[in-house]
Amino acid sequence: MSAVAFDYTAPTTLDGALGALDAPGRTVALLAGGQSLVPLLTSRQVRPDVVVDLNGVAGLAGIGIGADRVRIGAMTRLREVERHRGLAAALPVLASAAAAVAHPHIRVRSTLGGSLCHAAPAAELPAVALALGAQVVLRSARGVRSVPAGRFATGAGTTVRAPDEVVTEIVFPRTGPFTYEFSELCTRGSTGYPVAGVCLGLRADGGLVRAARVVVAGCGPVPVRLPGVEAALVGRAVAGPHPGLVASVVAEATRPGSTGPEDREYRAEVAGVLLVRALAARAGREGR
Amino acid sequence: MTGEHRHIGRPVPPRHHERLVRGGGRFLADLRAADVLHAAFVRSPLAHAAVAGFDATAARRDPRCALVLGPDDLAGRTAAIPTVWRLPGQPQESIPVAVHTARYAGQPLGIVVARTPTAALDLAEAVRLDLAPLPPVPTVADALAEHAPPVVPGAAGNEAGRIRFGSPAEEIAAALARAAVVVEREFTLPRVHHSPLEPRGVLAAYEAGTGLLTVHASSQSPHAMRQDLCAVLGLRADQVRVIAPDVGGSFGSKVFLYPDEAMVCAAAVALGGAVRWVESRAENFTGAYQGRAQQATARLAVSGEGRFLAFDADLLADLGAYATQAGAGPHQVTALTLQGPYHADAAAATVRGVYTTRVPTGAYRGYGMQEAAFIRERLVDEAARELGLSPVELRLRNLIRPQDLPHTTHTGLTYDSGDYGAVLRRAAALAERPPPPDDPPWVRRATAVVAAVEISAFAPTALLEAFGIAWSGWEGVRLRINHDGTVTVHSGVIAVGQGIETSLAQIAAEGLGVPLDWVRVELGDTDTAPHSDLSAQASRALTLAGGALVIAARQLAGRMRALAAGFLKAEPEQVTLRIAATADPSSPEAAFHGAGGARITWRETAHRGYRGWGRAHRTDRIRLEESVDFDPPQLTFAHGAHAAEVAVDLGTGRVEVTGYWAVHDSGVLVNPLIAHGQITGGIAQGLGQALTEEARVDGAGLPVTRSFREYTLPAAQDIPEDLVVEHLCTPSTVIPGGFKGLGEGGAILPPAAVACAVAAAVPEIAHTLTSLPLTPSRVRAALRAAGITAEGGIR
Repeated sequence: MSAVAFDYTAPTTLDGALGALDAPGRTVALLAGGQSLVPLLTSRQVRPDVVVDLNGVAGLAGIGIGADRVRIGAMTRLREVERHRGLAAALPVLASAAAAVAHPHIRVRSTLGGSLCHAAPAAELPAVALALGAQVVLRSARGVRSVPAGRFATGAGTTVRAPDEVVTEIVFPRTGPFTYEFSELCTRGSTGYPVAGVCLGLRADGGLVRAARVVVAGCGPVPVRLPGVEAALVGRAVAGPHPGLVASVVAEATRPGSTGPEDREYRAEVAGVLLVRALAARAGREGR
Repeated sequence: MTGEHRHIGRPVPPRHHERLVRGGGRFLADLRAADVLHAAFVRSPLAHAAVAGFDATAARRDPRCALVLGPDDLAGRTAAIPTVWRLPGQPQESIPVAVHTARYAGQPLGIVVARTPTAALDLAEAVRLDLAPLPPVPTVADALAEHAPPVVPGAAGNEAGRIRFGSPAEEIAAALARAAVVVEREFTLPRVHHSPLEPRGVLAAYEAGTGLLTVHASSQSPHAMRQDLCAVLGLRADQVRVIAPDVGGSFGSKVFLYPDEAMVCAAAVALGGAVRWVESRAENFTGAYQGRAQQATARLAVSGEGRFLAFDADLLADLGAYATQAGAGPHQVTALTLQGPYHADAAAATVRGVYTTRVPTGAYRGYGMQEAAFIRERLVDEAARELGLSPVELRLRNLIRPQDLPHTTHTGLTYDSGDYGAVLRRAAALAERPPPPDDPPWVRRATAVVAAVEISAFAPTALLEAFGIAWSGWEGVRLRINHDGTVTVHSGVIAVGQGIETSLAQIAAEGLGVPLDWVRVELGDTDTAPHSDLSAQASRALTLAGGALVIAARQLAGRMRALAAGFLKAEPEQVTLRIAATADPSSPEAAFHGAGGARITWRETAHRGYRGWGRAHRTDRIRLEESVDFDPPQLTFAHGAHAAEVAVDLGTGRVEVTGYWAVHDSGVLVNPLIAHGQITGGIAQGLGQALTEEARVDGAGLPVTRSFREYTLPAAQDIPEDLVVEHLCTPSTVIPGGFKGLGEGGAILPPAAVACAVAAAVPEIAHTLTSLPLTPSRVRAALRAAGITAEGGIR
């Protein structure tokens, strides 16, 4: 297939990009890594009037490790996130979640900002950004604003980004006493599409959970935190046993009134299983 | 250096590999053509609808538009595609190209031709369809329900026809009555996509002056395509030439002319020019025919001593909206091969074809034998469990033994040769290994071994005639020594990536006693290839074209020797042919040697031969060319046994295949490297069907699996690293050269092997493992139903 004809512009500055976005009455698509957009274009599921290519825009890529925060440019490739030494030390869960995305050919092109904007329900990085409490920084000719990752995606494939805005960077707080890990089940091996994923953040002391953060992906249109499960974990032994934990994940992730894919019960159960295993692995690593 | 040129049995790298890897491929989209126009289709967005209007006014007004043909235009330009292999009572004898009722989503209703591919797509979108929706009939259950909407006029209750094979009903009933155990299960083999690397495509060029239509097509059977095109377009056979360039896989999906392909050719005729259509992946997902699509209720009756008394099955074939040229053929093969490699007192199966409002189904690698193996081997496994016997032991007890061969089954298949027990025991022995010590508590691991026979050398003329199948089953080759001594093979089989051109070259080179690189194999052009309706289908190319080539090479080698002897003034048996491994035909190192140092090079012999010199009689033939048609006396049966080791995750339901061992007997192997590739590739495809692949539609009959996002093919990482393929060799007794087929064997057994291994790992759910694919959610649902909780699995 080939795309419906569109105009194409490749600005080299952010101001140039923002100028290109000022196109009243015309639909604009931003091209980052292209790993999702290009198939959507060629299958004619997306039919923009203009494609603004961000790949030549200076200053949108890069990883900065600060004392309190890690800033990652929106156009930073997932392969870079996966292999960056400083990041591996500062926020190892980001590196491991990036490494879980598709396969290397895709990660070499795919970007962090693109992944958040594409907002696939079971995707790895939106779940981790939510768990870590990241801020998504958006710029437009009107100014700059920062949106918490948990409020960025509004549904499967939709975000709060306005048509004239560009995501410029994602800011992650350093995790302090929390240690995070991400795990998922894929449709095949490690390169298939994710079915469900879990990001677990844990502050433990003496083998007991002091505080927990649990985000599940794939069970609904956007990744969600499970505060009920988080609260229930506090005070428990990390090593378990965790009777009823899978059931609580299923109950909270599929609570009435929420929506999700037809097999969400199964996906939520998988998320629960992944959570229990993450706890067991954590306990195992700490020798308890 | 002697004249010994041993090529058969050598693992020569397939000759097309380097060319393709270096970008030298000539696939349909690569072909250069002058002034070519581009086609796109207007396809039905609904599963079932009357086409009340097809308004192409806007498209035709666009300056980029060359031609639009809608249903009315097509009705005047095309006849329907005839079907060939019909079910008794089948009410639909052809597949119309021009339709006023859409019977599946994705059905082509019209064609748009424009100056660029993009313009063609734009203009196809600009055609305004007026569709009057009709009720969809997406499943076999919907089709057979009382008061179901009719899909095909004249098909009562949406049944396309039925046929029964095997033992009389009373013999089955008697066997069931005296059985100690009767295992009965319901099976579902879903629709699957063939997913060839290269989707379909056609480049058709018509010259009004000469009246010649030249069609390049990504086709697995150019002669069959030509025959169908002649019928559709009302052209003579000598007006239509079909050429298959490099074909990037087919697996049965490119064996027949499709209506959309016919429309491209009709458009070329209408325009008096060249029109190309290259199918997109999205179109391939919705418009290309699918495979499998079978439901079965099947029984196995076993005596108290573990002897098989009867196999019996009622098969429902989801034919889709039309029975294709081969209609229920694959399902009939399921019925014919249900008994497999075992003795039984009786065996029978009934096939009912059912029309649904889905894309038609047809041939797919394994052609009904994978379905038969899945049904049979699962039943055997279940019977072993009920009898408390080892499944391997139960199989060995019932396998047909070498001394029983030839053996004719209850469905009339005569197995020629082989050692089914040796193959099964070898696979079982290979798979034996201690479980790894570090499995987590939620993993259960086990192994199973299954067995099957593979039909090859399809098919003796008499067999096709008896079935009323109007195709040629024989295979012809033309083997020529050119005037410079090089060798050309023409055959009607074609290369679809399997490497047949290399294997045929090996057979010709060995038969003539020449180096391999002197031989060129020309395939795929109906103007030069010997006629072949079935071409490279049905694991037949090597057995039949190879068998013919063995005969042709023997004859031609004899003629060369006689010629040389004449020039050397000697008797043929006094002449010695000596060709150095790296010699060219004119080299003194490539010569016939007579007495007293006299010699004549291979090239000079050929060259003189072409001048007509050296003939003993004026009536002797001149051209150094042999045409041989080989009609096999009977089918020849390859066979194999596969063992799979699986690790089942009780918490997520995920099944991982952790080891796989395949042992085959395909008679004499011409090229072990190609044989290994064929079996390995087949296993990979079979594992996909075992675990992930299913072409699905929603309740309205609209495709849900429309890309590789929703349709999960196995990737390299899903194929176990512990994958072992071995071959035993029992030469065919009915094919010159002793060859048997192996194109499908790899794909036949993996679903059975994997499902039986899962059953062994988790006996609690064994009785439910009768539907494919074994996706994690489906396995987890079975585990849940059996009371195995996600946490219980974790301990």
